[in-house]
Amino acid sequence: MSLLEKYLAGIGFRTNTPAFESGQEISAFVTGYDGDTPIARIGDTVLRVEDAPADAVDARALLRVESFDDADHTGTATYLERTGESAF
Amino acid sequence: MVDDEPPDEAVEEELAEARRARGGSRIEFYGGPAASTIPIALFIVWAIVQSGLFRIGDTTGLVAGMLLALIVGMFFAKGDWKTYANTIFDGMTQRVAATAIVAWLWAGMFADTIQAGQFVSGLVWAADALSVSGTLFPAITFVLAALLATGIGTGYGTTIAFTGLFFPAGLLVGANPVLLFGAILSGAVFGDNLAPVSDTTIVSAVTQNSDIGGVVASRFKYAIVAAVLAFVGYLVAGSVMPGADIAASGAVLGDEAEPLGLIHLASIGVVIFTAVRGRHIVEAVSWGIIVAAIANVAFGLAAVSDMILFRAPDSVALADSLSWLPFLTTVPAGSDQVGVAGSIYTGAAGFFPLIVLTLLIVAGARIMIRGGGFEAIQDFLLERVATNVRRAETTMVLGTASVNAMITINTAAEIAIAPYIARIGERFNINGYRRANILDANTSALGYIFPWAGGVLVGYTEMQGLVGSEEFGWFTRELLVNPAEVWPFVFHGWLLFGVFLVSALTGFGLEYVSDRESEEVARV
Repeated sequence: MSLLEKYLAGIGFRTNTPAFESGQEISAFVTGYDGDTPIARIGDTVLRVEDAPADAVDARALLRVESFDDADHTGTATYLERTGESAF
Repeated sequence: MVDDEPPDEAVEEELAEARRARGGSRIEFYGGPAASTIPIALFIVWAIVQSGLFRIGDTTGLVAGMLLALIVGMFFAKGDWKTYANTIFDGMTQRVAATAIVAWLWAGMFADTIQAGQFVSGLVWAADALSVSGTLFPAITFVLAALLATGIGTGYGTTIAFTGLFFPAGLLVGANPVLLFGAILSGAVFGDNLAPVSDTTIVSAVTQNSDIGGVVASRFKYAIVAAVLAFVGYLVAGSVMPGADIAASGAVLGDEAEPLGLIHLASIGVVIFTAVRGRHIVEAVSWGIIVAAIANVAFGLAAVSDMILFRAPDSVALADSLSWLPFLTTVPAGSDQVGVAGSIYTGAAGFFPLIVLTLLIVAGARIMIRGGGFEAIQDFLLERVATNVRRAETTMVLGTASVNAMITINTAAEIAIAPYIARIGERFNINGYRRANILDANTSALGYIFPWAGGVLVGYTEMQGLVGSEEFGWFTRELLVNPAEVWPFVFHGWLLFGVFLVSALTGFGLEYVSDRESEEVARV
């Protein structure tokens, strides 16, 4: 990222329900459970990550989006690997 | 680092340990998990009483409060108190505290070195050369104070320097005293928020797992919107509000002007540039210190002895024979002058009380985590208050602002609220930079508004010193600005808070973890 891009990043109004495309790989925290299914909540968008391991919650992971419903702001994703931890 | 582990692994290990610690309630308390909040809760009460009610802005006093709070909390722990005591050790040895401490020590040395190099006198020269009128004076003062605060990273230091110099100078040219004091505080807010060497900036980045340079770059967009509006505010208010009636005239600023002091804009530039380029903050600030020290000596702004000086007792023969060295002098043996001095020494030493306080607060926070209190509060917030991303961000803004409005010493307030900002934000995948920005902007803003705020108190204390001083014989008690009057005029503070409230409600500047990754925390 260039110096200028670092200053300009994030300027604008961001949606509370970001959309993803199937096949897209994203880095995100696994944030909790919906029933028994681990989920990654990004803003108010919810990705179900069925195969996330038991200790995945509150840690950052690389996820591959498998399907995404634009109307519902929900989708499913595959857990690829753990990439980071919570700040606390 | 002393151990052989690569720093990244050390961080990973520590974070994994923190996760394990959160997992189970390892300390049982009489009264349940809620009782584990006793050390932190007592400390907050102490801080409000000491600083809010008694108006004592003494960081070492807060250290005493936190120590007593840790002792009281122990009596509520069930079973062997050894676990409680060990948790204090575990809390204090966390990397999050160590990284902030290292950055503060470096920032302190840098700030004092450019101050020794007459940077303030450079700003004075600029104001004098522009020969600003009373109407324009508050607006220009805001800009210059913001510049100083961005360089030295301490809003308190800026407030002291400007209240002692620009305040009387502004009154003489017909500026309104209350507005002028508000403008000085606004400049301090700006720098506290934006400076890479500011203690609050460092805490915000470290606690949200983000690099300091990236944090500074990403917060520019909010700061500049608020600053432009504040500048316009001071222009408009300056032309409406009347100046004080002073039976004196003359140039206060002229005597203190030193154009060469502005060379330290280059020292500050070096730090900001290298930090934003992604260099470790220790490296970035070290380069700043080197440039500043060379400039000080080369341009005659400060001698080597102003930066580091051994004051040895004259009874030591070796010291006497070596006293030709530029960093060595002899003083009467047995006098209280014996010691080490200079900007490197005072800059680092100035942070000692805050460092001890930070270690104790993170220890108290660790007890709250192991006792289950942290989780209980977090669950309440996530289940009842922060139920969607807009509400989560609004909670983060209002939570940070209210804790800082209550506690005088804003760095302490920031450290106490930081874990909640991290966790609530992570649960919505809000980017680390965004979290750090919400945390720091509202910490900086609210630390300079209310009458019990640390920034307002140090400014008022300095102002009292002007009454009846030799230099400003005309400065009477009537010219003092009552701390309770200034709050509506800290425009940049209010606007920064407003910008973040609007940002939280509208999604302006919002970034998600999936949008981009903040650079690794090993960069501090």
